[in-house]
Amino acid sequence: MPPLTDMNKDRKKDKVQWRSLDELADTPEFKEFLHREFPQGASEMNNDWSRRNFLTLMGASLALAGLAGCRRPEQKIVPYVKPPEEVIPGIPQYYATTMPFGNSAYGLVVESYEGRPSKIEGNPKHPSTLGASNAWIQASILGLYDPDRSKRVMHNGQESSWDKFVTIWREHSARYDSNGGDGLAVLSEPFSSPTLARLRKEFLRKYPNAQWVTYEPAGDENIFDGVSIVIPRGSYLPLNDFGRADVIVSFDCDFLLTESDSIAASRGFVQGRRLTTEYDSMNRLYVFEPGFSPTGAVADHRVAVEASIVPHLVVALANALKAQGLVELELPRGYELPEALRGWVEKLAEELTSARGRSLVVAGRSQPGSVHALVLAINDALGNLGRTLTLVAAPDGTYSRPAELRYRLIKDIRDGRVKTLVLIGGNPCYSVPANLEFRKVLEKVETSIHLSPYYDETSRRSIWHIPQAHYLESWGDASAPDGTRSVIQPLIAPLSNGIASVEFANLIATGANSAGYDIVRDTWENMLGSAGFENKWRRVLHDGVSTQPPPQTNDPVTDYNMVIKALDDISGEPPGRNNGLELVFALSPSLYDGRFANNGWLQELPHPMTKLAWDNAALVSPRTAEEHGVKNGDMVKLSYRERELEMPIWILPGMADNTVLLELGYGQENLGRVANGVGFNTYLLRHSDAPYYDRGLTMVKTGKTYKLASTQNHGSMEGRPHVREATLDEYRRHPNFAPEAVHHPPLVSMWKDHKYDEGYQWGMAIDLTACTGCNACTVACQSENNIPIVGKEQVLNGREMHWIRVDRYFTGDKDRPSVVYQPVACQHCEMAPCEQVCPVAATMHDNEGLNTMVYNRCIGTRYCANNCPYKVRRFNFFNFTKDTPEVTKMVNNPDVTVRSRGVMEKCTYCVQRINRVKIEAKKEDREVTDGEITTACQQACPTGAIVFGNVNDPESKVSKVKARNRNYDLLGELNVRPRTSYLAKIRNPNAKVSESD
Amino acid sequence: MNVSAKELSDSSTQREILVLGNPTFEKITEAVSRIVEGKPTRWWYALFSISVLLTIMLFANLVYLFWEGTGIWGLNNPVGWGWAIVNFVFWVGIGHAGTLISAILFLLRQRWRTSINRFAEAMTIFAVICALLFPAIHVGRVWVLYWVFPLPNQMGMWPNFRSPLLWDTFAVGTYFTCSLLFWYVGLVPDLATLRDRAKARIKKILYGLFALGWRGGNRQWRHYELSYLVLAGVSTPLVLSVHSIVSTDFATSLLPGWHTTIFPPYFVAGAIFSGFAMVMTLSLIARKVFKLEDIITTKTLERMNKIILVTGLMVGYAYSMEFFIAWYSGNDYERFAFINRAFGPYAWAYWIMVSCNVIVPQLFWFKRLRTSIPVMFIASIFVNIGMWFERFVIVVTLSRDYLPSSWDYYSPTIYDIMLLVGSFGLFFTLFLLFLRYLPMVAMSEVKGVLPQADPHYNHGEGG
Repeated sequence: MPPLTDMNKDRKKDKVQWRSLDELADTPEFKEFLHREFPQGASEMNNDWSRRNFLTLMGASLALAGLAGCRRPEQKIVPYVKPPEEVIPGIPQYYATTMPFGNSAYGLVVESYEGRPSKIEGNPKHPSTLGASNAWIQASILGLYDPDRSKRVMHNGQESSWDKFVTIWREHSARYDSNGGDGLAVLSEPFSSPTLARLRKEFLRKYPNAQWVTYEPAGDENIFDGVSIVIPRGSYLPLNDFGRADVIVSFDCDFLLTESDSIAASRGFVQGRRLTTEYDSMNRLYVFEPGFSPTGAVADHRVAVEASIVPHLVVALANALKAQGLVELELPRGYELPEALRGWVEKLAEELTSARGRSLVVAGRSQPGSVHALVLAINDALGNLGRTLTLVAAPDGTYSRPAELRYRLIKDIRDGRVKTLVLIGGNPCYSVPANLEFRKVLEKVETSIHLSPYYDETSRRSIWHIPQAHYLESWGDASAPDGTRSVIQPLIAPLSNGIASVEFANLIATGANSAGYDIVRDTWENMLGSAGFENKWRRVLHDGVSTQPPPQTNDPVTDYNMVIKALDDISGEPPGRNNGLELVFALSPSLYDGRFANNGWLQELPHPMTKLAWDNAALVSPRTAEEHGVKNGDMVKLSYRERELEMPIWILPGMADNTVLLELGYGQENLGRVANGVGFNTYLLRHSDAPYYDRGLTMVKTGKTYKLASTQNHGSMEGRPHVREATLDEYRRHPNFAPEAVHHPPLVSMWKDHKYDEGYQWGMAIDLTACTGCNACTVACQSENNIPIVGKEQVLNGREMHWIRVDRYFTGDKDRPSVVYQPVACQHCEMAPCEQVCPVAATMHDNEGLNTMVYNRCIGTRYCANNCPYKVRRFNFFNFTKDTPEVTKMVNNPDVTVRSRGVMEKCTYCVQRINRVKIEAKKEDREVTDGEITTACQQACPTGAIVFGNVNDPESKVSKVKARNRNYDLLGELNVRPRTSYLAKIRNPNAKVSESD
Repeated sequence: MNVSAKELSDSSTQREILVLGNPTFEKITEAVSRIVEGKPTRWWYALFSISVLLTIMLFANLVYLFWEGTGIWGLNNPVGWGWAIVNFVFWVGIGHAGTLISAILFLLRQRWRTSINRFAEAMTIFAVICALLFPAIHVGRVWVLYWVFPLPNQMGMWPNFRSPLLWDTFAVGTYFTCSLLFWYVGLVPDLATLRDRAKARIKKILYGLFALGWRGGNRQWRHYELSYLVLAGVSTPLVLSVHSIVSTDFATSLLPGWHTTIFPPYFVAGAIFSGFAMVMTLSLIARKVFKLEDIITTKTLERMNKIILVTGLMVGYAYSMEFFIAWYSGNDYERFAFINRAFGPYAWAYWIMVSCNVIVPQLFWFKRLRTSIPVMFIASIFVNIGMWFERFVIVVTLSRDYLPSSWDYYSPTIYDIMLLVGSFGLFFTLFLLFLRYLPMVAMSEVKGVLPQADPHYNHGEGG
């Protein structure tokens, strides 16, 4: 457990210090002093001044001189009188904790400098992260230091306090003790936490007439529903093991990014296609989706289909697989699949049949429960259950139940049956579909209490608002989808007086105001048993994961008759144009459902497909755009079920035609300075009848335009060999296709080259087959290297600062494009063109092959950036960190300089990490071992696409990777000799599928 | 017999009539000095006020630039250089004509240069001052700009001698110093004339100070001629070196469209081209306003037009050769860069450049057009516009280089525009001050090309 220091309180005291000095200066003697050049005593020693007086005045005048002369902000520092054990200034400590995320839990290891968490990494022992992370995890550290987080308890818009709330709650809840909680309701976010599950149980035991509803805007409810159709009793969720599947079929399922547990999915998926040589085998992914997701981008075959066709497609597939023991199903109302899709279904059936037990069919969370049930049936029929797919009992989980929210809680509130509503997290006034009019509903409740990190739309309409502590400030626990339990332990005392969810829930459920630590410990003492508990508990805190094996996976009894029944739900409406456009909602890859909207790193993170930052747009296919006469940035009026929304258009090639995809999470009103007014609130068009997709949308051009900021304005590779790509067959026929893709004259140098053959020589290899474009590297780098946020205006000006960007290119047919990704950071060229042109030698090579950037020396001619063929150098056009709030500065990595304006910056291969390890190795008188140094991007990458190490050591992993025949240098023909190389992208399309399909 | 003999004698000494109306020495002195000695005209005041206002705007703009950073310009990630560098190259180019006229034409004994060389040199000085402003202010941290100079310092750090920007520092610095000296040395006899004619005490002192005690003695003339010759010799290679070195800013980089060996000669030709055009513009105005038609003759102007035509053709050749080499090299990036120049997002700028620099000078094939004052005035302005765009086209080549992912479009902001306009303000402020306080035509030299200055002038009569 880290030492907890309340930094907030210290800072407040400093302010008082200043004020008292001013007050001191206000006395008459001091006023006179201010008008005199010399301290009075200096020339007037013979007067009646006592020595004591003189010294006092001398001291004070010096203080005043300091006050006037020094513009540096001065703060009082107090050294440790007794240093806390194990804290060495400048040497970080690492603590295991967990980030709860809907029904997922991400086990983490957090770096902390003197009690100040500064960087998050995945916990290698945790099944959901395996040492990797994603953009949301990486950016959550910035959320901790968000100055806009709510700092105080609010009661009817007036400042109150937690203690007052505790007292009032005890009085208030007393009325429910007698009636069993009649009129009491809790609306919480879904969770998978043993403690919260225990508290929920206790709450419902104490108040049997009360209700506890869980809701999030885009949860796993459909998946859960699907499983419960097949397994009526118990609560199970499918756990996919992509690593064991040779054939994967995704129906509208972005399992690599926005679906739950995507890190493990990415890791597994790429595990199945990691090629060392051309003889290795590779899995195959088919994706059918209405939008264009990163999962679709890495697919071997991707077919754009309207979301409403997906259920029919799954039914057709089930029919085609009836030889596998599936029951013949009737397509709803005789709907005929288009010819092209029927061809696909046949091929899928053939392929899946041949890969029995080694295949996996998945459906996205936006597909209805019946589809999930059918998908489960298909997987069972294919013998995948227990192999690539297991059903895991999830005793700690509570899933999002939109139906309960709509038909029970909201109905009860409308009928006046709910007097007290406790909201644990979430922002339903913003995120509940507009047709439910939650704002009006909330007004009907006599007492509403909202625990929330921000004083947001819902908090402002609640009677009570309680600030919620960040997970890095709270005690808690969480279970991964496979059942592995882990503890959330705080890294820092709440910066803004936040209350942990478990503390709040404990008060609501039991009336006791206990410390989070005790509450969580109680839960774990029950789970682990009191015998030897202290040791086990310490072990869990240290490792971050429970030593207890995950709860047993039961082979459930399945009832497929229910599937057939459930399929009646699927709308048989044949897709057609007369019903208008199809409206599809998706989670934002940056802001998720809006919970990260006030996070500048995520707002500025380029969208993996559109590369848009700071906005969401209505995404349409080129053909649909043409039909409606719209182009990028045109404002359109979207009308759907009596609701209208004006939004800008962005054309995304590869989308299904007649589909408008809207991403959630933008357009908040009252979250904070970053989030407010950014983008468009698409929840306003959402209807709870069809929360994910529906027909009946009309789109009309308004004639207005809107500026959308994209970090990549050109999507075509212009036929250049930047991303070298081949099919597995081609690769087998031409194993050296990648290095041989460019023919150039022999590369000779004008002068004698530096050899770089001694000591460590750092290098990197990036496997383009493994890159899923998820952006985790970009945010990890931003966090590690103190990269500033520049804002939409500057992104529009093309001045984003990311040191590693993920280039996205569209390839192939214009109507059915593929997408390739290429992460590009400084390539650390041995013959670096940037170094040659700098007039002041501010960028130089070191003897380990690093292209170093000396910020102090840089005068900002920008010549280096011009001459960089990779355009990876970033210039501080303004002082981007000038207005960083005090508290946000705490997110900075103390090992990395914060750059001021006028200097160039770029990727350093995380030189601070290299040197830290080198120093350690030197102290221990040994060489740095391979893999000991990881760069931030490498460490975050969920698929292990990035390998870094000593290229001078032939045994190092990076040397071995670079020795593979897929390895090529980007722009190697320029003879700049980059130290970063790429492994060509290999896809594995089905040879039986002709190009025209 | 007498009359015809006199005409013959002029042609027999191979002396062309360079000054019309065969004025006396005194008339020349009068014509030039009265501009300095008389009261400035209303035109001068009007132009000067506008120029000073623009200069003030320039400096206000610089204060804001230093306060906020180069982000106030339209620069972005691929395009790290914008109008500041365009203006720099543009002004350095303008600054070429002065020294060329003074030094090279002097060495080649092109005596028609005498009527224009003084203000061509002045123009050079002021253009180089404007040019030097830009590399200084375009850096991100102006307060440490002095690091580009090889100054001894406690860090033991030298600048990077491999960097073309450093070569620029030396090349343009040397050029400025030499041009200034050359100009000043040439001024000395005329300053003495002004000193002698001055009535106000302050003028006497100041002109006297800068005339360095010139009395017009034989020995002084000998020393003067020699030093002028030496300086002309020193300046001549500089004419070629400065813009060659400026071009290496681009040519030594590895960007497609920049990395070409044709740049040094092409830049020099372009610089002479634009410099002559600028001299043309200015001299046409000065000639008209100060009634110097007799001294700056149409014949001289026609000669300048011929040089504009020749250098225009060189520039046009360079443009086409760039395309040829891009195609011939077989380098896809190079090919793309040029196709993109002509047909990409900046095609408009490219075609403005081609029209102004290649098509407009073709007018000067026709004698009627190259001797027509309005035609040459308009053409010279077009050439300057075209040459500014040439530099713009080269700089924005940055917008599309190797990786299409980084491509972006650069457009200037109001501050970029104010900077260019302001630099013209600075230029004209200096130039108008020059016209007001210094002899704009080299009196002593013009006198030297009069027939009566010929030692054989009187001997010719009667053999």
